[in-house]
Amino acid sequence: MGSRASTLLREEEIEEIKKETGFSHSQITRLYSRFSSLDKGENGTLSREDFQRIPELAINPLGDRIINAFFPESEDQVNFRGFMRTLAHFRPIEDNEKNKDHTASEPLNSRTNKLLFAFRLYDLDRDDKISRDELLQVLRMMVGVNISDEQLGSIADRTIQEADQNGDSSISFNEFIKVLEKVDVEQKMSIRFLH
Amino acid sequence: RGGRGRGKKAASEEEEDEDEVPAPRGRRGGNRKAARKGKDGDDEDADDDDDEDGKGPKKRGAGGRGGRGGRGGRGGGRGGRGGKKGGKGKEGDEESEEEEDKKGAKGKKKGGKKGKDEEEDEEEGGKGDKGATGKKGAKGKGKEDSMSEGEMAKLMEEVEEKKKLIATIRNKPWRMRRRLTHLRESQQFVDKFEGALGKGKGRKWYAYKVMMKKKWIKFQRDFENFRTACIPWERKIKEVESHFGSSVASYFIFLRWMYGMNLVLFGFTFGLVVIPEVLMGLPYGSIPRKTVPRAEADSAQDYSVLMDFNGYCKYSVLFYGFYNNQRTIGLLQFRLPLSYLMVGIGTFGYSLMVVIRTMAKNADVGGGDGEDGEFTFAWKMFTSWDYLIGNAETADNKYASITTSFKESIVDEQENQKDENIHLRRFLRVLANFMIICSLGGSGYLIYFVVKRSQEFASRDDLSWYEKNEVMIIMSLLGLVCPPLFETIAELEEYHPRIALKWQLGRIFALFLGNLYTFLFALFDEVNTKLELEGSIRNASLWNMKEYYANFTLNSNDTEATPPPMHPSDIIRGPCWETGVGIEFVKLTVSDIQVTYLTILIGDFARAVIVRFLNYCWCWDLEAGFPSYGEFDISGNVLGLVFNQGMIWMGAFYAPGLVGINVLRLLSSMYYQCWAVMATNVPHERVFKASKSNNFYMGLLLLILFLSLLPVVYTIMTLPPSFDCGPFSGKAKMFDVIMETIDLDLPAFLGTLFSYAANPGLIIPAVLLMVLAIYYLNSVSEAYQGANMELKKKMQMVRLQQKKG
Repeated sequence: MGSRASTLLREEEIEEIKKETGFSHSQITRLYSRFSSLDKGENGTLSREDFQRIPELAINPLGDRIINAFFPESEDQVNFRGFMRTLAHFRPIEDNEKNKDHTASEPLNSRTNKLLFAFRLYDLDRDDKISRDELLQVLRMMVGVNISDEQLGSIADRTIQEADQNGDSSISFNEFIKVLEKVDVEQKMSIRFLH
Repeated sequence: RGGRGRGKKAASEEEEDEDEVPAPRGRRGGNRKAARKGKDGDDEDADDDDDEDGKGPKKRGAGGRGGRGGRGGRGGGRGGRGGKKGGKGKEGDEESEEEEDKKGAKGKKKGGKKGKDEEEDEEEGGKGDKGATGKKGAKGKGKEDSMSEGEMAKLMEEVEEKKKLIATIRNKPWRMRRRLTHLRESQQFVDKFEGALGKGKGRKWYAYKVMMKKKWIKFQRDFENFRTACIPWERKIKEVESHFGSSVASYFIFLRWMYGMNLVLFGFTFGLVVIPEVLMGLPYGSIPRKTVPRAEADSAQDYSVLMDFNGYCKYSVLFYGFYNNQRTIGLLQFRLPLSYLMVGIGTFGYSLMVVIRTMAKNADVGGGDGEDGEFTFAWKMFTSWDYLIGNAETADNKYASITTSFKESIVDEQENQKDENIHLRRFLRVLANFMIICSLGGSGYLIYFVVKRSQEFASRDDLSWYEKNEVMIIMSLLGLVCPPLFETIAELEEYHPRIALKWQLGRIFALFLGNLYTFLFALFDEVNTKLELEGSIRNASLWNMKEYYANFTLNSNDTEATPPPMHPSDIIRGPCWETGVGIEFVKLTVSDIQVTYLTILIGDFARAVIVRFLNYCWCWDLEAGFPSYGEFDISGNVLGLVFNQGMIWMGAFYAPGLVGINVLRLLSSMYYQCWAVMATNVPHERVFKASKSNNFYMGLLLLILFLSLLPVVYTIMTLPPSFDCGPFSGKAKMFDVIMETIDLDLPAFLGTLFSYAANPGLIIPAVLLMVLAIYYLNSVSEAYQGANMELKKKMQMVRLQQKKG
């Protein structure tokens, strides 16, 4: 796999991806081989079925949403660049990056961007607000039919009540950040990619 | 590695490395180079790694460093072999940029060494400094000379860093080979130099101490792992917990705990009483107490007789009567009667200690609850899935447990929001309690009446089947009817399900106490009758023996010969009330087991089968309406377990085999009930979280322990043992065995000591002292609780202020 993979990935591409995402050279090559192994059709792009072959995603109630997050708006195939762009959100945050000043645009794996990624999983219509209906959909996926609809509705209402600060009955991104303030997002949303 | 912008090499402030020993450096340099080449051929640092402090270890550091690939131009600054912090081979330790700078690029960019692989370098910062300062001065470490303080400190730091690397090596995203290399180097370094930290002559001893300590820590860790892996049934209980909630799982955890305690009791009894008698005592058939009497010999093997625990069962190790009263038996002079008494008392002592210790442990956990109700639902919603699960079965369990946890939170919320008419609620509660007290009183009187009637029946002979078993029937009926009645009445009270469960448990407990009273009353009557009988039989037996010998001498015409002893099964036997009591308890336990298993089989399993299969051809929906599937009855099962244990405690003194029977019962119960719960029950409508402390169950158990202690102690102290069976036969009171031992076996002064200790003048002040101690500890604990509440309130205020501000 190694040899075939590396020939299909050019040095300039690797450099570009490195700049955009912050991964190292060896990481990018390794992720490329993973990409190729998932790509059963061998056409350089991944489709939704390819992702669903991963067992952890298949049994995850939110698996479909996560898979969706890889695909840009209304497309059915994702190439390696897009793949890396999504995975870049999960790169661990390093100290030296914490010290960099924020003149340049934030790197893809900053805490805010990680939270934005999570936020977009719930906010399906991309209006920057998680509404009650969207919460209900998520709840339905997580607990199925074991809890009655009105109870689910109460849970959704209660969640919004806990998080909403400006009274618009939906959770905006800032409110979302506030809710997860005490949760160690940097640790939970980071994957230690091998060097 | 993006992270490593090492622009160190800044000012290479050469620290004072004057006293460096060139030779070692060279040597080291050489080594390092070699080592490093292996890693990534980055030999720039070859030279700069010669730490002044000719630390051989540096080489290791270097090696480690080598590991860090691509150490960009370490270029300059190599000059000052300043602090070779790097030397400290902080392989895995990340170090931050500033640390590098601090080290003043002592040339040795040990920086690279810190294998900065995108790891946090926080701690390195500090270490860097230390290293920087520490490593000044060349301590000719390499040579095992006496070291100066600075050297020692530096060495210690280095050792610490290596140790930290070893501890965190698992978290680094490196390849396996690299990790292994670093690990080996670090371990060698630590081994070599840790011992050397001791000064001069004490060095070897110090090294030895350190090694023993490490071995001890490793041993402890392995032992902990082993212990945790040995906890039985953990997976089963987790499965039940994820489907049914923590309250149902708490019953199974309680069952497992009981099994453990019974196993220990069984070990004591078996090892100290049964085995000695079997191995070293007289065999079956040699003396009267161990033989089936001739009258019963024909039927002794019948199944029905054995089921009643008569026949061969009665004259076996299972019961008190089998044991011989020889003071010492066998080669080892094992004192069986003393051991029997001690084990009996030790059973209670051990159980008491274990129960109280568990209660104390649980009380800690129940203490501070920490996080408040902040964002409970939001957190549950956004963060409850575990993304590392890849197994379908685990995913199902997790799914079920998320659902259960939502349901529990819903119930908690509902309870917090109820705020209606307080007066109405109070009135209803008082009414409900009144009704329940009435029914308890009624059942108590019914039992009393029935027992009285059974006493009258005992004197008659022409009893119908109903009259013979009236007591049992009435008690079973009460046990079946009252609990559901209590539950229905309890709906008036509208408590939180957790609290309602406690009330229900308390009430059924009171009901069962009535049963207990009946049983003990009947038993006591029987014992008294037997005691009266014994007097007359004793005389009869002696008379019979004299007659036998008289006949023998008469018939043999030989006054010199000693008559052969009577065959053991011919000797007239006393009624042996202790064995009788033991048989009663064993019969009760066995019938309890049968009833429980049958109830589960019929009440749950048959019901589930009927509902499932009859549903296809029935007019209304059996699954949703009546009767539907059963729910797991927590209170009934817990109380059953607790009362069963009480019976065991009472009966273990008279029937040593009872504990063994109980162990088997608990073991099979665990598997049977786990299967039944998963296969035939549905989760409760309102799933609630069990209270954090299981102290309620423990409290019930403690109460029963005291209640069962009383009869046994009473009989030991006041009733005379039977004259011809059991280990205490022939004595006036059972505890005379202790007196005998003190007199004969222990040195004289101990005897006088005990007699002084038993003086009331000594005991009363001791009791007074204990009472005072209890009072003092109580007030101290109250003070602590008060302080706890204050702190909690403070925390809440701070949080509120944060929210506002």
